[in-house]
Amino acid sequence: MKLNLISTAILFSLIMVGCSSNDTTTDQLTGSGSISIKYDNGYNGNDLIIGAANSANSNGENLTITRLSYIVSNFRLVNSTGEEYVFPKDESYFVISQEADLDNVVLPEIPAGEYTTLKFGVGVDQEKYLQGAEGQGDFLALAESHHMMWSWQAGYKFLNFEGSFTSEIVTDDTEFKIHMGSHGSSLDNYKEVTLALQTNVRVSDEMDSSIHLKIDAAKILVSSNNIQLTEKSVIMVDEVKSPQIAVNVTEMFEVDHIHNGDGHN
Amino acid sequence: MRVNIYQATGLKKLVALVCIVFRSIWTLMPMVFLLYACSNNEEEYILINESLAFEVPSNFPEPHYDFDANPPTKYGFELGKRLFYDGKLSSNGFISCGFCHEQAFAFTHHGHQFSHGIDDLEGTRNTPPIQNMAFLKEFAWDGATSHLDLFPIIPITNEVEMGETMGNVINKLKADSSYQEAFEMAFDDPEVNTENFLKALGQFMAMMVSSNSRYDKYVRNEEGGQLTDLEKQGLDLFGQKCSSCHGTDLFTDSSFRNNGLPPNPQLDDVGREEVSGALSDKYKFKVPSLRNIDKTAPYMHDGRFGNLMSVLDFYESGVVDSSTLDPLLKLEGRLGIPLTSNEKEAIIAFLLTLTDETYLNDQRFAEY
Repeated sequence: MKLNLISTAILFSLIMVGCSSNDTTTDQLTGSGSISIKYDNGYNGNDLIIGAANSANSNGENLTITRLSYIVSNFRLVNSTGEEYVFPKDESYFVISQEADLDNVVLPEIPAGEYTTLKFGVGVDQEKYLQGAEGQGDFLALAESHHMMWSWQAGYKFLNFEGSFTSEIVTDDTEFKIHMGSHGSSLDNYKEVTLALQTNVRVSDEMDSSIHLKIDAAKILVSSNNIQLTEKSVIMVDEVKSPQIAVNVTEMFEVDHIHNGDGHN
Repeated sequence: MRVNIYQATGLKKLVALVCIVFRSIWTLMPMVFLLYACSNNEEEYILINESLAFEVPSNFPEPHYDFDANPPTKYGFELGKRLFYDGKLSSNGFISCGFCHEQAFAFTHHGHQFSHGIDDLEGTRNTPPIQNMAFLKEFAWDGATSHLDLFPIIPITNEVEMGETMGNVINKLKADSSYQEAFEMAFDDPEVNTENFLKALGQFMAMMVSSNSRYDKYVRNEEGGQLTDLEKQGLDLFGQKCSSCHGTDLFTDSSFRNNGLPPNPQLDDVGREEVSGALSDKYKFKVPSLRNIDKTAPYMHDGRFGNLMSVLDFYESGVVDSSTLDPLLKLEGRLGIPLTSNEKEAIIAFLLTLTDETYLNDQRFAEY
């Protein structure tokens, strides 16, 4: 019994030592810092260039993209002990727009720590929408100015993806338009993305950091769900295809690399 | 009512001091001092933006609108009313909300099947009334929005209605110093922006309650609430044949239904399907309230019927079958609702008791 106690004590102190030596790395991270998230839009491994033709996707469709904009929201970061930091909801809505060069989300005052996982939503959740004028704040004006309002139903376009395409069957350059959002109160297309970071992102009073995401816009059409423009090239409120596109969109984000304290101080 | 409070700092401090000293003993003392302060109303004053109480009529269900998120105030409401009647909200400066929503007709567009907006362009739907909005969950014929605050975006930005952008509207209001003042009076955070703009309109619309028709007085046992035998018979028939959709004292259950109107091929308005994208919603429209129905002709989402008898005739013998027809209109294999001409007359007599002259003439909502 006594021996047991002693061994437990030894084990316990070993654990304590173990903990404290671990702590030395996070101990340095005090206060808070900002994390920025770069949305680097691409298409099938290449740059996404507005107005330039892309090579054919697996459906044999050549897209020329004139607009790629989407709403990202509800940012959360999970730290190395599994705790989730939720960025203040009211400030957690952003428009990413290729044509307007809106490609960077800055989250200030993130508590110091090491974060292993980034989570965010694509679109505007029903909770926010149903807060009415109070909930939309200035975001509504921002969304309108970047063509992200579905004015006829006073809702948001979560994704605005437009351009033209040709395929084997559609040989004349044909307009395509994909506007995806929630369908009034009847269909919620808000979806969430969880991205594990291959390198922990670290932040503190001394260190602002950034997460560089690469986006493959080709996945909007070809990913878990296969959307053929040849079959339907204007998809706005489609009970079947819109939710499929919403899923595909969550799959277009990939973590490329992390800058820990790089160039911010 | 403006409440003026004398602000001479010395006196204010004195009042505050008295408050602290006598707080536990003389609860009335500071009141006396404040009243004294009120009487000295020269020079500076601060405006007290009093909150407006929303009263739920005893025969109504609970409101759906979140009054905590946007509590109506005197100046918020007044700003909302001013915006409602201001043509600045449209691209040509002439089409206000009140242009198509006229109070005398329960805020519908009298004499118009479809309302005409900018450049005389015509819409494809009949202007619905504005009344008891705080009790509704879905707005517009197809439920295009599920929040009252956000509704104004639809007509403002619709190219055949007001043809404007929210951004332009805000810029026009910002350029008008009297609006800057009005926003300052209405809101703690006084910026002229979309949030406050929509809040003000939301307050105005949420306060618009019609609950004083003869029928209301009848069910609440109030003075002036007498119904004739024919009207009572109509009420009874209404309960049997109409109230499963036009339910509660709002006279709508807020659902979307296909009532069997033969689609107008020139419009081919698919209704709720436009919002949901669901084929199962094709030709479904929101069940409208029947309050003030005598004033809101023409009827149906496309205003095809000019009078109530035509509406009842349609329900009796004009209902067309389709895959989305409401099951209640196809009971026991019979399309529509069985109605004799005597029954129709009684129902119409009852419907006319839903006219609320108090609401139609309420100065709080009047343009002039």
